[in-house]
Amino acid sequence: MKLFKQILILFSICLLSEFISKLLPFSFPSNVISMIVLLLLLISKVIRTESIRDISEFLLQNMAFFFIPATVAIIDEYDYLKDKILILLFISLFSLIITFIVTAFTVTLTTKLMNRKKRHLND
Amino acid sequence: MTEILSNPIFGITISLFFYTASTALKNRFKSHLINPLFITVILIVLTLKIFDIPLEAYEAGGNVITMFLAPATAALAYSIFQQIKILKTYAIPIIVGCTAGSLASMGSIYACCRFFRLDEVLTASLLPKSVTMPIAIEISRQLGGIPSITVVMVAMTGIMGGFMSHFMVRFFRVADPVAAGIAIGSSSHGVGTARALEIGEIEGATSGIAMGVCGLVTTVIAILLTI
Repeated sequence: MKLFKQILILFSICLLSEFISKLLPFSFPSNVISMIVLLLLLISKVIRTESIRDISEFLLQNMAFFFIPATVAIIDEYDYLKDKILILLFISLFSLIITFIVTAFTVTLTTKLMNRKKRHLND
Repeated sequence: MTEILSNPIFGITISLFFYTASTALKNRFKSHLINPLFITVILIVLTLKIFDIPLEAYEAGGNVITMFLAPATAALAYSIFQQIKILKTYAIPIIVGCTAGSLASMGSIYACCRFFRLDEVLTASLLPKSVTMPIAIEISRQLGGIPSITVVMVAMTGIMGGFMSHFMVRFFRVADPVAAGIAIGSSSHGVGTARALEIGEIEGATSGIAMGVCGLVTTVIAILLTI
Protein backbone atom coordinates (compact mmCIF):
# COMPACT_ATOMS: atom_id res chain seq x y z
CA MET A 1 0.00 0.00 0.00
CA LYS A 2 2.83 2.40 0.94
CA LEU A 3 4.43 1.95 -2.47
CA PHE A 4 1.09 2.49 -4.24
CA LYS A 5 0.70 5.83 -2.47
CA GLN A 6 4.22 6.88 -3.47
CA ILE A 7 3.62 5.90 -7.10
CA LEU A 8 0.30 7.75 -7.01
CA ILE A 9 1.98 10.97 -5.79
CA LEU A 10 4.74 10.82 -8.42
CA PHE A 11 2.39 9.96 -11.29
CA SER A 12 -0.09 12.67 -10.27
CA ILE A 13 2.73 15.23 -10.45
CA CYS A 14 3.63 13.95 -13.93
CA LEU A 15 0.01 14.18 -15.07
CA LEU A 16 -0.33 17.70 -13.65
CA SER A 17 2.88 18.67 -15.48
CA GLU A 18 1.54 17.31 -18.79
CA PHE A 19 -1.42 19.61 -18.25
CA ILE A 20 0.76 22.64 -17.38
CA SER A 21 2.92 21.92 -20.44
CA LYS A 22 -0.17 22.05 -22.70
CA LEU A 23 -1.25 25.38 -21.17
CA LEU A 24 2.10 27.10 -21.79
CA PRO A 25 2.29 29.25 -24.93
CA PHE A 26 5.67 27.69 -25.86
CA SER A 27 6.68 24.03 -25.73
CA PHE A 28 8.46 23.14 -22.51
CA PRO A 29 9.21 19.44 -21.79
CA SER A 30 6.66 18.17 -19.29
CA ASN A 31 9.22 16.02 -17.48
CA VAL A 32 11.33 19.09 -16.66
CA ILE A 33 8.15 20.80 -15.40
CA SER A 34 7.45 17.78 -13.17
CA MET A 35 10.95 18.12 -11.68
CA ILE A 36 10.31 21.81 -10.89
CA VAL A 37 6.82 21.12 -9.50
CA LEU A 38 8.06 18.35 -7.21
CA LEU A 39 10.99 20.48 -5.99
CA LEU A 40 8.59 23.35 -5.14
CA LEU A 41 6.23 20.95 -3.34
CA LEU A 42 9.15 19.56 -1.32
CA ILE A 43 10.50 23.04 -0.45
CA SER A 44 7.04 24.28 0.60
CA LYS A 45 6.67 21.07 2.70
CA VAL A 46 3.42 20.12 0.94
CA ILE A 47 5.08 16.76 0.25
CA ARG A 48 7.53 15.24 2.71
CA THR A 49 10.54 13.32 1.39
CA GLU A 50 9.34 10.15 3.18
CA SER A 51 6.17 10.18 1.05
CA ILE A 52 8.16 9.52 -2.13
CA ARG A 53 11.44 8.08 -0.82
CA ASP A 54 11.27 4.42 -1.91
CA ILE A 55 9.92 5.00 -5.40
CA SER A 56 12.31 7.93 -6.05
CA GLU A 57 15.33 5.97 -4.91
CA PHE A 58 14.28 2.99 -7.01
CA LEU A 59 13.90 5.14 -10.14
CA LEU A 60 17.12 7.11 -9.56
CA GLN A 61 19.23 4.05 -8.82
CA ASN A 62 17.96 2.17 -11.86
CA MET A 63 17.69 5.12 -14.24
CA ALA A 64 19.87 3.41 -16.89
CA PHE A 65 17.30 0.62 -17.35
CA PHE A 66 14.66 3.07 -18.58
CA PHE A 67 16.92 4.31 -21.40
CA ILE A 68 17.33 0.86 -22.95
CA PRO A 69 14.46 1.04 -25.49
CA ALA A 70 15.40 4.59 -26.57
CA THR A 71 18.95 3.35 -27.20
CA VAL A 72 17.91 0.16 -29.04
CA ALA A 73 16.24 2.41 -31.64
CA ILE A 74 19.82 3.28 -32.72
CA ILE A 75 19.66 0.22 -35.09
CA ASP A 76 17.68 2.37 -37.50
CA GLU A 77 20.42 5.04 -37.52
CA TYR A 78 23.43 2.77 -37.96
CA ASP A 79 23.95 3.37 -41.69
CA TYR A 80 23.58 7.11 -41.19
CA LEU A 81 26.16 7.21 -38.37
CA LYS A 82 28.78 4.61 -39.31
CA ASP A 83 31.17 6.97 -41.14
CA LYS A 84 30.78 9.70 -38.49
CA ILE A 85 31.80 7.74 -35.38
CA LEU A 86 35.24 9.34 -35.00
CA ILE A 87 33.80 12.84 -35.42
CA LEU A 88 31.18 12.12 -32.75
CA LEU A 89 33.82 10.81 -30.34
CA PHE A 90 35.90 13.92 -30.93
CA ILE A 91 32.91 16.26 -30.33
CA SER A 92 32.09 14.40 -27.08
CA LEU A 93 35.60 14.79 -25.74
CA PHE A 94 36.12 18.35 -26.95
CA SER A 95 32.88 19.76 -25.52
CA LEU A 96 33.41 17.83 -22.27
CA ILE A 97 36.76 19.56 -21.70
CA ILE A 98 35.52 23.02 -22.80
CA THR A 99 32.46 22.77 -20.54
CA PHE A 100 34.59 21.68 -17.59
CA ILE A 101 37.13 24.51 -17.99
CA VAL A 102 34.52 27.26 -18.56
CA THR A 103 32.39 26.14 -15.59
CA ALA A 104 35.30 25.68 -13.17
CA PHE A 105 36.75 29.08 -14.16
CA THR A 106 33.38 30.89 -13.91
CA VAL A 107 32.60 29.46 -10.46
CA THR A 108 36.09 30.25 -9.14
CA LEU A 109 35.80 33.83 -10.42
CA THR A 110 32.25 34.29 -9.04
CA THR A 111 33.29 33.04 -5.59
CA LYS A 112 36.33 35.36 -5.58
CA LEU A 113 34.21 38.39 -6.54
CA MET A 114 31.64 37.52 -3.86
CA ASN A 115 34.32 37.19 -1.19
CA ARG A 116 35.85 40.52 -2.18
CA LYS A 117 32.47 42.22 -1.96
CA LYS A 118 31.85 40.65 1.44
CA ARG A 119 35.21 41.92 2.66
CA HIS A 120 34.36 45.43 1.41
CA LEU A 121 31.10 45.35 3.33
CA ASN A 122 32.91 44.22 6.47
CA ASP A 123 35.44 47.06 6.17
CA MET B 1 4.97 -16.60 -32.96
CA THR B 2 4.54 -12.98 -34.14
CA GLU B 3 1.64 -12.72 -31.71
CA ILE B 4 3.90 -13.56 -28.76
CA LEU B 5 6.66 -11.27 -29.98
CA SER B 6 4.43 -8.23 -30.40
CA ASN B 7 3.05 -8.69 -26.88
CA PRO B 8 4.62 -5.94 -24.67
CA ILE B 9 5.74 -8.69 -22.27
CA PHE B 10 8.35 -9.85 -24.81
CA GLY B 11 10.19 -6.49 -24.97
CA ILE B 12 10.02 -6.00 -21.21
CA THR B 13 11.25 -9.52 -20.46
CA ILE B 14 14.30 -9.45 -22.73
CA SER B 15 15.20 -5.97 -21.44
CA LEU B 16 15.00 -7.18 -17.83
CA PHE B 17 16.90 -10.37 -18.64
CA PHE B 18 19.88 -8.74 -20.35
CA TYR B 19 19.95 -5.83 -17.88
CA THR B 20 20.06 -8.02 -14.77
CA ALA B 21 22.65 -10.27 -16.46
CA SER B 22 24.95 -7.39 -17.44
CA THR B 23 24.55 -5.69 -14.04
CA ALA B 24 25.56 -8.97 -12.39
CA LEU B 25 28.58 -9.09 -14.72
CA LYS B 26 29.54 -5.54 -13.70
CA ASN B 27 29.26 -6.36 -9.99
CA ARG B 28 31.22 -9.58 -10.47
CA PHE B 29 34.20 -7.81 -12.09
CA LYS B 30 33.73 -4.47 -10.26
CA SER B 31 34.82 -2.66 -13.41
CA HIS B 32 33.72 0.78 -14.59
CA LEU B 33 34.52 -0.39 -18.12
CA ILE B 34 31.48 -2.69 -18.09
CA ASN B 35 28.53 -0.44 -18.85
CA PRO B 36 25.25 -2.36 -18.29
CA LEU B 37 23.28 -0.01 -20.58
CA PHE B 38 25.60 -0.54 -23.56
CA ILE B 39 25.93 -4.29 -23.04
CA THR B 40 22.15 -4.70 -22.72
CA VAL B 41 21.53 -2.67 -25.87
CA ILE B 42 24.10 -4.64 -27.87
CA LEU B 43 22.60 -7.97 -26.71
CA ILE B 44 19.04 -6.86 -27.53
CA VAL B 45 20.10 -5.60 -30.97
CA LEU B 46 21.88 -8.91 -31.66
CA THR B 47 18.83 -10.89 -30.52
CA LEU B 48 16.54 -8.89 -32.82
CA LYS B 49 18.95 -9.31 -35.76
CA ILE B 50 19.66 -13.03 -35.27
CA PHE B 51 15.99 -14.02 -34.91
CA ASP B 52 14.89 -11.47 -37.49
CA ILE B 53 12.47 -9.79 -35.08
CA PRO B 54 11.24 -6.37 -36.22
CA LEU B 55 12.10 -3.35 -34.02
CA GLU B 56 8.37 -2.53 -33.78
CA ALA B 57 7.72 -5.82 -31.96
CA TYR B 58 10.36 -4.98 -29.34
CA GLU B 59 9.05 -1.43 -29.02
CA ALA B 60 5.61 -2.64 -27.90
CA GLY B 61 7.28 -3.44 -24.59
CA GLY B 62 9.96 -0.78 -25.00
CA ASN B 63 7.38 2.00 -24.94
CA VAL B 64 6.12 0.80 -21.58
CA ILE B 65 9.65 1.04 -20.15
CA THR B 66 10.26 4.47 -21.71
CA MET B 67 7.11 5.80 -20.06
CA PHE B 68 8.86 5.53 -16.69
CA LEU B 69 11.38 8.18 -17.77
CA ALA B 70 8.79 10.83 -16.84
CA PRO B 71 8.51 9.91 -13.14
CA ALA B 72 12.27 9.21 -13.10
CA THR B 73 12.94 12.82 -14.14
CA ALA B 74 10.52 14.10 -11.50
CA ALA B 75 12.47 12.02 -8.97
CA LEU B 76 15.57 14.13 -9.73
CA ALA B 77 13.84 16.79 -7.59
CA TYR B 78 14.06 14.36 -4.67
CA SER B 79 17.84 14.10 -5.02
CA ILE B 80 18.22 17.88 -5.43
CA PHE B 81 16.07 18.47 -2.35
CA GLN B 82 18.34 16.28 -0.24
CA GLN B 83 21.12 18.79 -0.92
CA ILE B 84 18.91 21.85 -0.42
CA LYS B 85 21.25 23.34 2.24
CA ILE B 86 24.20 23.22 -0.14
CA LEU B 87 21.99 24.66 -2.92
CA LYS B 88 21.04 27.61 -0.70
CA THR B 89 24.62 28.22 0.50
CA TYR B 90 26.12 28.24 -2.99
CA ALA B 91 23.08 29.44 -4.98
CA ILE B 92 24.87 32.21 -6.91
CA PRO B 93 28.00 30.24 -7.93
CA ILE B 94 25.76 27.29 -8.91
CA ILE B 95 23.40 29.35 -11.08
CA VAL B 96 26.17 31.42 -12.70
CA GLY B 97 28.39 28.35 -13.20
CA CYS B 98 25.63 26.18 -14.68
CA THR B 99 24.56 28.95 -17.07
CA ALA B 100 28.15 29.40 -18.25
CA GLY B 101 28.61 25.63 -18.47
CA SER B 102 25.43 25.05 -20.47
CA LEU B 103 26.31 27.85 -22.89
CA ALA B 104 29.88 26.52 -23.26
CA SER B 105 28.59 23.00 -23.90
CA MET B 106 26.02 23.97 -26.50
CA GLY B 107 28.33 26.57 -28.07
CA SER B 108 31.26 24.18 -28.46
CA ILE B 109 29.01 21.45 -29.88
CA TYR B 110 27.42 23.86 -32.33
CA ALA B 111 30.85 25.11 -33.46
CA CYS B 112 32.07 21.51 -33.98
CA CYS B 113 28.94 20.56 -35.95
CA ARG B 114 29.43 23.55 -38.28
CA PHE B 115 33.14 22.76 -38.62
CA PHE B 116 32.48 19.12 -39.60
CA ARG B 117 29.47 20.16 -41.74
CA LEU B 118 27.04 17.88 -39.89
CA ASP B 119 23.39 18.27 -40.86
CA GLU B 120 20.72 19.97 -38.74
CA VAL B 121 19.13 16.77 -37.43
CA LEU B 122 22.46 15.48 -36.14
CA THR B 123 23.31 18.90 -34.65
CA ALA B 124 19.96 18.92 -32.80
CA SER B 125 20.66 15.40 -31.52
CA LEU B 126 24.08 16.42 -30.16
CA LEU B 127 23.31 19.84 -28.60
CA PRO B 128 21.84 18.54 -25.28
CA LYS B 129 24.46 15.81 -24.80
CA SER B 130 26.01 17.20 -21.58
CA VAL B 131 22.81 17.11 -19.53
CA THR B 132 21.18 14.26 -17.68
CA MET B 133 19.66 11.61 -19.98
CA PRO B 134 15.86 12.03 -19.53
CA ILE B 135 16.08 15.80 -20.02
CA ALA B 136 18.49 15.45 -22.96
CA ILE B 137 16.02 13.12 -24.74
CA GLU B 138 13.20 15.65 -24.42
CA ILE B 139 15.37 18.58 -25.59
CA SER B 140 16.57 16.53 -28.56
CA ARG B 141 12.98 15.74 -29.53
CA GLN B 142 11.99 19.36 -29.20
CA LEU B 143 14.86 20.57 -31.40
CA GLY B 144 14.03 17.96 -34.08
CA GLY B 145 16.86 15.57 -33.23
CA ILE B 146 16.89 11.76 -33.08
CA PRO B 147 16.57 10.67 -29.41
CA SER B 148 18.49 7.39 -29.85
CA ILE B 149 21.57 9.29 -31.11
CA THR B 150 21.26 11.68 -28.16
CA VAL B 151 21.16 8.77 -25.69
CA VAL B 152 24.35 7.28 -27.11
CA MET B 153 26.12 10.66 -27.05
CA VAL B 154 25.00 11.38 -23.47
CA ALA B 155 26.20 7.95 -22.35
CA MET B 156 29.53 8.39 -24.17
CA THR B 157 30.06 11.80 -22.53
CA GLY B 158 29.26 10.30 -19.14
CA ILE B 159 31.75 7.47 -19.57
CA MET B 160 34.51 9.86 -20.72
CA GLY B 161 33.67 12.27 -17.88
CA GLY B 162 33.82 9.42 -15.38
CA PHE B 163 37.34 8.59 -16.48
CA MET B 164 38.59 12.17 -16.83
CA SER B 165 36.94 14.17 -14.01
CA HIS B 166 39.58 13.32 -11.42
CA PHE B 167 42.37 14.05 -13.87
CA MET B 168 40.84 17.35 -15.07
CA VAL B 169 40.45 18.67 -11.50
CA ARG B 170 44.18 18.15 -10.95
CA PHE B 171 45.36 19.14 -14.43
CA PHE B 172 43.49 22.47 -14.48
CA ARG B 173 44.33 23.06 -10.79
CA VAL B 174 40.75 23.56 -9.59
CA ALA B 175 41.40 24.26 -5.90
CA ASP B 176 37.84 25.14 -4.87
CA PRO B 177 35.76 21.96 -4.21
CA VAL B 178 32.55 23.83 -5.16
CA ALA B 179 34.03 24.83 -8.53
CA ALA B 180 35.22 21.26 -9.12
CA GLY B 181 31.79 19.78 -8.25
CA ILE B 182 29.80 22.18 -10.43
CA ALA B 183 32.23 21.71 -13.33
CA ILE B 184 31.95 17.91 -13.10
CA GLY B 185 28.14 17.95 -12.89
CA SER B 186 27.86 20.41 -15.81
CA SER B 187 30.19 18.48 -18.09
CA SER B 188 29.36 14.86 -17.33
CA HIS B 189 25.98 14.64 -15.53
CA GLY B 190 25.19 11.50 -13.46
CA VAL B 191 28.25 9.40 -14.24
CA GLY B 192 30.48 12.37 -13.35
CA THR B 193 28.50 12.91 -10.14
CA ALA B 194 29.13 9.33 -9.05
CA ARG B 195 32.85 10.02 -9.50
CA ALA B 196 32.63 13.43 -7.78
CA LEU B 197 31.21 11.67 -4.71
CA GLU B 198 34.42 9.63 -4.57
CA ILE B 199 36.53 12.84 -4.62
CA GLY B 200 34.66 14.48 -1.75
CA GLU B 201 31.33 15.24 -0.10
CA ILE B 202 31.03 18.86 -1.29
CA GLU B 203 32.17 17.91 -4.79
CA GLY B 204 29.52 15.17 -4.94
CA ALA B 205 26.69 17.33 -3.61
CA THR B 206 27.41 20.34 -5.85
CA SER B 207 27.88 18.06 -8.86
CA GLY B 208 24.46 16.46 -8.27
CA ILE B 209 22.78 19.85 -7.99
CA ALA B 210 24.64 21.18 -11.05
CA MET B 211 23.38 18.21 -13.06
CA GLY B 212 19.73 19.17 -12.36
CA VAL B 213 20.27 22.92 -12.75
CA CYS B 214 22.12 22.45 -16.07
CA GLY B 215 19.22 20.34 -17.32
CA LEU B 216 16.89 23.20 -16.54
CA VAL B 217 19.16 25.93 -18.00
CA THR B 218 19.81 23.92 -21.18
CA THR B 219 16.04 23.39 -21.63
CA VAL B 220 15.48 27.15 -21.38
CA ILE B 221 18.29 27.89 -23.87
CA ALA B 222 16.87 25.27 -26.26
CA ILE B 223 13.42 26.89 -26.08
CA LEU B 224 14.94 30.32 -26.79
CA LEU B 225 16.68 28.77 -29.82
CA THR B 226 13.43 27.41 -31.25
CA ILE B 227 11.40 30.63 -30.81
